[in-house]
Amino acid sequence: MSDFKRQHPVAALSRAFGLIRGNIVTILVFLFVGAQSESFPFLWWTLGGFAFLLVVGFANWWRFLYKVEDGLIHIKSGIFVRKNLYLTKDRIQVIDITAGIIQRIFGLVQLDIQTAGASSRAASIEAITRDRAEAINRLLRRKREDSGEEDIDDAEFEIEDDIKQTISLPNKELLIAASTSGSFGIALSVIGTVFSQIEPLISESQFYDYLYSILPSQTDTMFYIALIAGFIVFAWLLSFFGTLFNYGNFSLEIKEKEIVISRGIFEKKRSTVPFNRIQAIHISEGIIRQPLGYASIHLESAAGYGDDRGTGSILFFPLIKRKRILSLLDEVLPDYQKELAALKPPNRSLRRYIFRSTFLVTAITAGVWWWFDLNVLMWIFPILAFIWGWLKYNDTALGWGDDILVLRSRNLSKSTAYIKKKRIQDLSISQSPFQRYRNLCSVQVYVASGDRGKSFSVRDVELEDGLTVLEQIRIEGVNATIDESLESETERQVIQLPGWV
Amino acid sequence: MKEPSFHKLTPRAIRVWQWSNSIRSLFFFIFPVIYAAIFGLNGFNQWVVISLAVLVFIAWLLSIFLMPYLTWKNWRYAIDENEIDLKRGVIFKTRTLIPLSRVQHVDTRQGPLLRSYDLASVTISTAATTHEIPALDEVLADRVRQQISTYARLAEEDV
Repeated sequence: MSDFKRQHPVAALSRAFGLIRGNIVTILVFLFVGAQSESFPFLWWTLGGFAFLLVVGFANWWRFLYKVEDGLIHIKSGIFVRKNLYLTKDRIQVIDITAGIIQRIFGLVQLDIQTAGASSRAASIEAITRDRAEAINRLLRRKREDSGEEDIDDAEFEIEDDIKQTISLPNKELLIAASTSGSFGIALSVIGTVFSQIEPLISESQFYDYLYSILPSQTDTMFYIALIAGFIVFAWLLSFFGTLFNYGNFSLEIKEKEIVISRGIFEKKRSTVPFNRIQAIHISEGIIRQPLGYASIHLESAAGYGDDRGTGSILFFPLIKRKRILSLLDEVLPDYQKELAALKPPNRSLRRYIFRSTFLVTAITAGVWWWFDLNVLMWIFPILAFIWGWLKYNDTALGWGDDILVLRSRNLSKSTAYIKKKRIQDLSISQSPFQRYRNLCSVQVYVASGDRGKSFSVRDVELEDGLTVLEQIRIEGVNATIDESLESETERQVIQLPGWV
Repeated sequence: MKEPSFHKLTPRAIRVWQWSNSIRSLFFFIFPVIYAAIFGLNGFNQWVVISLAVLVFIAWLLSIFLMPYLTWKNWRYAIDENEIDLKRGVIFKTRTLIPLSRVQHVDTRQGPLLRSYDLASVTISTAATTHEIPALDEVLADRVRQQISTYARLAEEDV
């Protein structure tokens, strides 16, 4: 493959559709508004716009050339401004092979080669045959012949294509994952945005009257409650099917040096993540999933395009029984130390946790209750906030091992993060005046993930513990070891992580 | 474990911050102005506007005569062959440790204000975060930048 190649012509089409999909809300609003006026040549605008996009797509396809040599990919692109991209295999973080609907019709795939931090799909080949994508994938990960200055991990970087193990997601757990998916809130906000765009159009029509007549509503209050309930059900359905389609057919292949995550029903995606590119793993137990005994596992990669734009988070396993996490992680990532002792925040932090979570809610509740003379029942909110604060305190823990740091905390969901010390980009400990008075501190750790990094933090732990962790990161830089066992501290609350058994 | 040797910023930083704060804090005068624009200046509202203006004026004075000094007093940095250690914060105190092997690049920057005092800031970027040592003598800033990049080159690099 030493000549420049063009993509499959379907790239022109998929680019056009990609543009449409990226601007769908704008286009819909435009068409909606246009359709209102009578002089608007609706058909011509639609056809003309589509033709224009096709021409743009075609030009893009024509001007896009790529060449793959051993360990180097060279892409020329751009219609007017020519862009030359050279990418060496040393810098590759994650390789994604995606097959969208259009690509699948023609038996093609999209290949994304992701480097650290780049938030755009810089090295993306939109339509090539699966064979060629796999060939490029292999070529880019082959052992380097000339070893210049490079990572130690890469020195013996030899791709073995035999899969050691494949783990898939059972249908039952897929359904549970979909129905308890946290993307519910996102779906709600998307609906809200779309609704706010088209609301003026709806309110002019008879839509509300129609809704009013079919919903079981005698009063206005009932009507709004029914409307909100309808929204929520709709959002839930959206997130249910979204998760189902995104994470259906999920499978995890474990290879010698890398893992391959495949997922998707309509749009199939295959991400290849080398083990030595994993920055951190974190396990999150959502508030609905936790009582059911389920959790999801994420991994952080420095690639700029994880599951969501801009973050490098990749869903490593969508839903798993808490009891099985340890055995799965032991198989996949044996070099992470998972069971270790951790320190809880001291008792005197509890009041800070509870104060923080209840203060605002209580003040607002009291005010609203006083001024608007509402039901006593609304005092349930401060009580919930109190419980929430207590849960947060209870779930916070900070632990460390020889080469690993564990931070456990809760926002809504409980999150346990495992971070190799050598992957920590920076570590901060901070103190507010009150924390200083109580000799407490907050610890925040940044790892590389996407273009902005991802932080994990615990609040209100002993200052001494924060300083110990800081000292360890310092020592890690010197490559010395320390042996400081937690057992020596007797009166401290030591818990065993991960506590999933 | 021995504490690394911390350095202070140059005292000239205080001057720079006094100038920049004196302009930046002018922004807060917008609050009494907005209030006056909405509610007018008669009776009770007049006193609200005056007291708001007095409060903002006090804040403005503090941001010029007190905060730069306190910020300077609380800023410390230490750089050695293994890590960069930054301490800062007047009310909320933060200490950040950046292992040098994680440093991706270092810049020195100099706006017009810093230039007129022969100062420069040093910006340290890792794969995840960016930190700034806000005001160093420009010769020193160059040396610090050089020092960091030399040390960082020695350290083995892997995102």
